Amino acid sequence: MAGAFPAVTRYDMRLAAPLAGFYLLFFIAPLVLLAIVSLYADVEMKSFSLAQYVRFLFDPFSLSVLASTLWLGLKVTALCLVLGYPLAWVFTRSPKWAQGVLIIVIILPLLTSVVVRTFAWIVILGRQGIVNNLLLSLGVADTPLRLLYTDGGVVVALAQVQMPLMVLPLITAISRIDPNMLDASSALGAGAWRSFFKVTLPLSLPGILAGCLLTFAAAITAFITQSLVGGGQMLFMPMYLYQQASTLSNWPFAAAISIIFLVAVLACVTLFNVLGRLARGHVQA
Amino acid sequence: MLDRRQIMTAALTLGAMHAFPGLSKAQARRLVFATFTGSWEEAHRDVLVPAYRKATNNAEIALDPMLSVDQIAKVTAARANPPIDVMLHDPGPALVAIAQDLVEAYPVAQSAYYKDLISDAQVDTGPAPFFQVVGITYNPEKIKTPPTSWKDIWDPKYKGRVGITNLNSTLGTGWLVEIARMNGGSEKDVSAGFKALEDLKPNLGAVAANPGQLATLYQQGQVDIGPGNFNAIQILKARGVPVEFVAPKEGAIAFKTTIHIVKNTPNKELAFKLIEASLSPEVQGKLMDSPYLIFPTNTKVKMGGEVAKVLAADHAEMKKKFVFQDWAEINKQRSAWIEKFNRDIKI
Repeated sequence: MAGAFPAVTRYDMRLAAPLAGFYLLFFIAPLVLLAIVSLYADVEMKSFSLAQYVRFLFDPFSLSVLASTLWLGLKVTALCLVLGYPLAWVFTRSPKWAQGVLIIVIILPLLTSVVVRTFAWIVILGRQGIVNNLLLSLGVADTPLRLLYTDGGVVVALAQVQMPLMVLPLITAISRIDPNMLDASSALGAGAWRSFFKVTLPLSLPGILAGCLLTFAAAITAFITQSLVGGGQMLFMPMYLYQQASTLSNWPFAAAISIIFLVAVLACVTLFNVLGRLARGHVQA
Repeated sequence: MLDRRQIMTAALTLGAMHAFPGLSKAQARRLVFATFTGSWEEAHRDVLVPAYRKATNNAEIALDPMLSVDQIAKVTAARANPPIDVMLHDPGPALVAIAQDLVEAYPVAQSAYYKDLISDAQVDTGPAPFFQVVGITYNPEKIKTPPTSWKDIWDPKYKGRVGITNLNSTLGTGWLVEIARMNGGSEKDVSAGFKALEDLKPNLGAVAANPGQLATLYQQGQVDIGPGNFNAIQILKARGVPVEFVAPKEGAIAFKTTIHIVKNTPNKELAFKLIEASLSPEVQGKLMDSPYLIFPTNTKVKMGGEVAKVLAADHAEMKKKFVFQDWAEINKQRSAWIEKFNRDIKI
């Protein structure tokens, strides 16, 4: 009899076919095209070779662009984590009405366009911007500081723009922690800090990793914020790619840059995932 | 062996046939004109489109504003059935579009206005309906004595106050060539220009990613002086931003903006009529007036207003005051210059 009825928990794989077809057509196929284009030896796309990859991987300048992009991602992620964790923690401890207000504040940036948010930073960081006016009127600085078009400016602006991606997974992870754990910890004599490092932090690790992953990926690919706040002389991978593809019509090199960037990002994601698995093992042990 | 065209065609046909089965039948559609974004679109919508409608007995037209490079990408992706009928290009991208065989030769013999254009605007792959002019932009509230020469930008008193764009834009590349020329270089050799940029570093307050961004920097007070596009400055001025434009004594840089019939367009006749309208003295005369202030190329247009005051009183004076550049030569080395700029210009 058991064989006559399919188990209710098993879904028919054919249900996924439309989505699979969609991905195949609009994601996998273009990706394969991209890989093929990256293998052309010249701009005219006549012959195949690995020349574009060699050009990138043996060029200290191109490698430095890749490195500075990944480094930027790390800085933004770290800043988001440091600022986002307390926010998420406060959220989970707040009464219901305060949570409602907080969630709107947290999600609000997602509801405005990235361009608008980034432009606000231009106004804040400019020579006659809010920060400089404050510093000048307080007498802290004599001449306006250069904040716009600097590395620090890009990191701060990106951190604000990507903050919801860090805070939301953290809220989910922290609010899933059983409050009894903390009570037990303090009943056994641990202080607030010890409880935090021994209980809350380890248990929220999955949220931390998910948040870091999202923030990192969003920060390194944020073309608009990088170019508006970073300006025309700070080169990160998205702008490098745009320059080659659009201004110079050098599609093979642009495609090779994309593939290399993709592989580098996947490597970082894998690293995060491995860390995540280790963390879960740690939590369960 | 697959080439780019085959791969593109295969992928696009496949994609399009799945998504829009109706596409496989050729359809008559209205004329699509890819103008530039911002004030260009406004000017064309207000002046050129009504003139075109009058000439064609109210034929349909759609403006689809986008950058030159995007126009090229879109047409390249669908050569046989292009989504655009008329393209508008800066000199660099125009040569790319011509080299990639994306444009139809302009039917010069049938044209009523072609012969009236100044010689620099008579291009048989697509004539120039207007010029863009690059000179010195400055903030008159901060800089009391108006600059007169490109050399003024190097004055130490403008430490940290100068704004330029990188070489992705026509403005940035054209300016590099001009300062190279000023220091003994040419379109073939801009090393003198890079040397001058190196000397400019203490003065550089910002390197913007594109001309639009450069314009906002004047608005924010981030920079006070630098090379700028005449028309971009007019928009800022109209919004009350304190900026002025002067043509430097070495000559303002003029870029031909050319208009092209796209190869394989189903609307060739209408495309021709639109371009004719854009060359006509009526349309060019209106576009020269405030608020558009677009520099005319038809010699029948009598210069007046702000354009005559700031740029040139007539086409003879224009020849003396404008500097044209050889973009065929520039395009050959542009990628090497961009690479050098990427590496060397860090502030």
